[in-house]
This record gives sequence, C-alpha cells and structure tokens, in this order.
Amino acid sequence: MIQISQLKKQYKDAVVLNIDSLEISKGQCFGLVGNNGAGKTTLFRIMLDLVRATEGYVKIAGQDVSKTEEWKSIMGAYLDEHMLLAYLTPDEYFETLRKIYGMSEADLRNHLEKFMELFNGEVLEKKKYIRDLSKGNLKKVGIAAAMMGNPEVVMLDEPFENLDPSSQIRLKKLIQKETENSKITFLISSHDLNHVTDICDRIVLLEKGKVIRDLREKAEMMSELEAYFTG
Amino acid sequence: MFFTLIRLQILKSFRSTAFAKSLLANLLLGFLALLLLSYVLGAGIFLRRIIEHFADGEDLLGVLNSYLVFFFLTEFMYRYFVQSLPVIELESLLHLPIGKRKIIHMLLFRSFISPLSVIALLLFLPFGIQVVLVSYGWMGLVTWLGSILMTSWTLHWFMLWFKQRFEDSLIGLLVVFGVLLVGAGSSYMGWYNLGEITKPVFDLALVSPFPFLALVGLVVGAYSLCFLFYVSNAYLEDLSEEENVRFVNQSFGWLSRFGMPGEMANVEWKLIVRHKKSRTFLMLSAFFLLYGLIFYNNPAYKSEDGFSFIFIFVGVFITGIFMIQYGQLFLSWNSSNFDFYLSKKSGVEALVRGKYLLFFGISMVCFLASVPYAYFGWHFLLIHLATFLFNIGILVHVIIWFALWKPKPMDLNKGAMFNYEGVGAAQFLIIIPMMLGPYLIYVPFSLLFNDYIGLFALGTIGILGIIFYNRLAQININRVLNNRYEISSSFRQEL
Repeated sequence: MIQISQLKKQYKDAVVLNIDSLEISKGQCFGLVGNNGAGKTTLFRIMLDLVRATEGYVKIAGQDVSKTEEWKSIMGAYLDEHMLLAYLTPDEYFETLRKIYGMSEADLRNHLEKFMELFNGEVLEKKKYIRDLSKGNLKKVGIAAAMMGNPEVVMLDEPFENLDPSSQIRLKKLIQKETENSKITFLISSHDLNHVTDICDRIVLLEKGKVIRDLREKAEMMSELEAYFTG
Repeated sequence: MFFTLIRLQILKSFRSTAFAKSLLANLLLGFLALLLLSYVLGAGIFLRRIIEHFADGEDLLGVLNSYLVFFFLTEFMYRYFVQSLPVIELESLLHLPIGKRKIIHMLLFRSFISPLSVIALLLFLPFGIQVVLVSYGWMGLVTWLGSILMTSWTLHWFMLWFKQRFEDSLIGLLVVFGVLLVGAGSSYMGWYNLGEITKPVFDLALVSPFPFLALVGLVVGAYSLCFLFYVSNAYLEDLSEEENVRFVNQSFGWLSRFGMPGEMANVEWKLIVRHKKSRTFLMLSAFFLLYGLIFYNNPAYKSEDGFSFIFIFVGVFITGIFMIQYGQLFLSWNSSNFDFYLSKKSGVEALVRGKYLLFFGISMVCFLASVPYAYFGWHFLLIHLATFLFNIGILVHVIIWFALWKPKPMDLNKGAMFNYEGVGAAQFLIIIPMMLGPYLIYVPFSLLFNDYIGLFALGTIGILGIIFYNRLAQININRVLNNRYEISSSFRQEL
C-alpha cells in the first residue's frame, strides 16, 4: 500500500529523517513511536506531501505523492488543527467535506453514526465554531473528518492526546472495528505505549530520524518498547 | 504597582516575536506615524492661511468655530476605524492578586498614549497662538483650546466604550452610518447647518471658562462610563469576544452550481463574515462605493469633450476594491488552514477558483450598486462597465499573481487597521500594475481616437481576459502548486 524508499529530510546540516526503506501493507495498523524530535510528524507530513523530501520518495498505491494528486482521494489524515476549517461549526465542516468527497446526505449520516459514541453529544448540533471547541472535541472532529469518504489509508498524529479516558477507549474500539470491517490501513503515532501496542499489529520506533526497531510480534512489543524508553 | 504594570507592558511589546521579526516594519510604521503627525502640525501652522484663502474677509475664528463640528465628526470616523481596544492583555493579568480596577485604570491609561490623542492639539494650537492669543489673551486660548481638546478626548473614551460594546453589531454600524449621514445631510444636502448649531459653544469658550469646565466634566463622565463598563465586564468570556454562531444559515445557494469552486467560495464567504479583519475589509468596500462622490461631481475634473483620465482610476477602484484589498493577501487569509486544502484532491485548485468566483461575484455587486452614478452622467455607467470588465478579466489575475509572491501568515481575529500582518513587499508592488495597467490600454486609444474608444478598448481587453479565464487562472494555480511546500511551511510558523 505504502512504499518509502531512501527518504531523507535535511534542514541545512541537520538530518531530521533518514529512512532506507519501509513498506506498509494494506489493512495493517501501523504504529509509530519515538521521543520528541524523533521525526514522527515530519515523516507524516512528507507522506502527505506537505513538506518536501530532500531525497527519496513516498509512494501510496503506487503513486509518488509529490508527483500526482490521485492518492489524495484514498487518503484521510488528521495531523493538527491546520487541517480543519476552524471558523466553521462541526456540522458545516462535515457538510463541506461531504460535498468535496461527493457523498450523499445519507452517507454522511451513516458515517457520523459511527462516531456518536465518541462525540458523546458534545460535537454535533452545537452552535459553536470549531475554534471554540475544547482540545479533545477538536481532535474528535479531526478524526471523524479524516475517516470520511471511504479512505483506504487513515493517518492520525497523536490521536489519544487530549482525549478523556472513556473517549480513548471508545476511539480504540472504533479503530479496531474499522480495521476489521473495512480493511482500512491506519497509520498512528502516539506516546501512549499501552494504546498503541493494543491496537497496532506493527510498531516502528524512530530515533533521531532513523528506524531503529520494527516490531511485528504483538507479544514482545510492550516489553521491547518499555525496555527502550526506560533506557 | 502601577509602574510594574507599565514596565510589563513595555517588555511585552519589545519581546514579542512579532516585534523582533518585523522590526523594520515597526520602524516604518513609527516613521509613518511621525510623518503624519508632522503633516497635521504643518496643516495646523497653515490653518490660518487656508481659512483666509477660502473665506476671505470673514471673521476667521467664527468660520473655524462653525466648522469644528465637522472635525469632530471626522475624528469620530477615524477613531472608529483606527482606535484599538486595550483588552487583549487582560488575560495574562486577571488571575494575579492585583485589583481589577487598577488593571483597568492601567489599560485605559495606556490606550490614551497614542498619536490620536494629540492630533487636535497639533492642529489647533498654532492657530490658537496666531489668532486667539492675539485677540483674547491667555485665558481665551486656554479655554478655547481646552474645549477642543476635551471634546476630542471625550471621543476617545466614548469610542473605547462604544467599540467594545457595539463593534460588529448592527447598532454599531447604524450609529456610524448615522454620523456619516448627519455630516452629509448638513454639508452635502444642505438640509440644516450643523456648524451654526454648535458654533456658539466654541464662541463662548473664547470668553468664558464654562464650556471648558462643562467639557472637562464630559471627559470625566465618558471615562467613568468606559471604566465602569470595562470593570463590570472584566471576564475572559465577555471581553475575549467569543462569538456566537450568528451567520449559520448565511450561505449562497447559487454558488453551489459551480461545483467544488462554488463550495469553496461559499466556505470563503463564511471565513470573511466570521473574522474581524476580513469583515472590516468587506465594510471598507462598501464605503469605497461612495468614493465617486468626491470625484464625479467635482468641477476640477470637468473637461470639455469626453471625461477626465482620473475617472478610470476611480472606476477601477469602485468596481474592484474588494479584489484589490482582499486579493492582495490572497492566500494569507487561509494561512491557518492551508494544510486542509493541500490534503484534499484538487483542493488548492478549488480554493483558488473559489476565490476567483467570489471576486467576480462581489465585483458584480459593486458594479450594480454603482449604477446610480449614472445620475451624474451616462458616461459614468460606461466607465464602470469598462473598468469592471477589465477588473475581472485582467486585473484580478495580476493582483493574485503578485500576491502569491511569498505569502505570509496572519491572524484574522485582529483588527484590520494599521495591522501589517501578512503584508510584504509584494503588497506594495501590487499598487503599480493596479494604477498603470488600465491606463496602458486606455490612454493610447483615448489620445489617438477619443475617450470612448479608449473605454471600448479597455472593455474589450477585459472580455478577452474573461474568455481566456481558464488559462490565466491556471497560471496562478500552478504557481501555488509549485510553491506549496514553502507556503505551507511558512504558514505553519508562529506569528
């Protein structure tokens, strides 16, 4: 589904990302962990063609992301609030996206139905702009928006951050259900090792821009990561 | 305590990231303020001659006193647009164990230190020395000038209260239009003479201290009004302007017919009405519709055959003010959500085309609204038609092309006046093609044949531009796409 090859990002002398090769297969739930400054967000931004790679390429469904735009229709992402139209209400925002993705109103209703539990009645039909929402609710809007339009790949940066404990559990369930039912490929970065080992069947550990662990065995993930992070 | 607060304020402004980044822009602004003030002083020094020139042989003071009210009406208007509110700093102070009243006193005092507070003094002091001192002595000068200053300062406090209370509300707009109407009704339409009604107050101030004392009372009153309002509203929720959703259902159904660009134009419209800065730009466009009144009926621009060259410029302005103003910051408006458009398929293209659509729509509205100028002569209708076609056919592409030169991020919730966020060299350069462009086409034809052939040429070029709209727009779209990494990374930076 996604191929990364010889990818390098350099600011002047500082190399912030350097990945020889990484392949993510369809339907995988791919977790990305690493300390601050390890290059997680930079990697995500390059994959979304928001930042130019110094060398190498990222291919999604066989297309180089910096050359075409076709892949954008099978990719949903929420990195930060720059990806929202914060001056709309959540309802207006979803409505705008509905038109962009060419969905019917019933499609949108069905989609949002899946998020009702997560939203907990605090997001929809409230007369409030997105910019005035709490950080947790902002994140929920972003996640629901990223999963609109039947994407094959969904990319979420720190999805559990700022969510209350029950929302975290609900989100986890939601992601697990979507991986099973619709074979969506999830790319998730997180600092919460418990959650990420729970839902992901592969975890890649970044350090100073390099892949230093590629864990696929669910049983060993937690102990390996704990060993690394406790140093 | 008071001085600690003041010191904090000074540190704050010196250490803000914006200050370091745009030191040059700040210096330029400071220089500009000084320059403007020196112009005011210059006008003050020559005020006597100016009045002598226009009202030769009449009582100079009497003439001035009868026109003072118009000065204050003007002051009301520029204060409304320029004066900024001192509430932004409140958040970081409210939780500290400092009395609320003290903080508010400090904020209000700080707002008073502004070039606006001395304009009246600079303008009228020289005249006072030249004329009033001679005939009425020191007492007369103090009470007369004092009365003027007090009126001006009353406006200061009144405006602080008024803007905080009514800005962006319908009542605020109505009052501002009301003030405009009061002034226009008197001077332009001649229904009544506002100057004569208020003249006695200032005449009396020359010989008696009562008007001065009364006006001092008025200043104190206005200050108290302002102070009490701020103290009783010194809560984050009241002053930080958390807006309700007021415009929920305001969308243009007809725009949806244009597909994705239409949808983007719709969203952009919401952006405009929901942010302070863009709303001010929109309101300015409405004011600029009146621009023609200054020129069209002015005998200075009457010519024997055809019409004055300057009317082309006025026409470009009236029908295109929104695209000129809003378009010069083209992408900066979307700086906080540019990644949204990048991550959507054809998102950038839809965004740019959506903006085009919006510019066409609003230009159209401006053109239609300017039709009544035909009252001054049918040729104005032709001028507006030709400049309108030229605007939407050619000028819009040129403006956008320039605006795409290193766009900068900006905060849309700050006021628009004297706010140079997002403004770079490109925004100044835009003025050149905007002023010269129409004349490049119009002047040769107008000189060779006549003015109407010139207009015809202008309109024809515009129509050609409309026919090739897709290609021309594509140039700008490609420019955005080619620079997308630089643009999005500069937009992600902190302001």
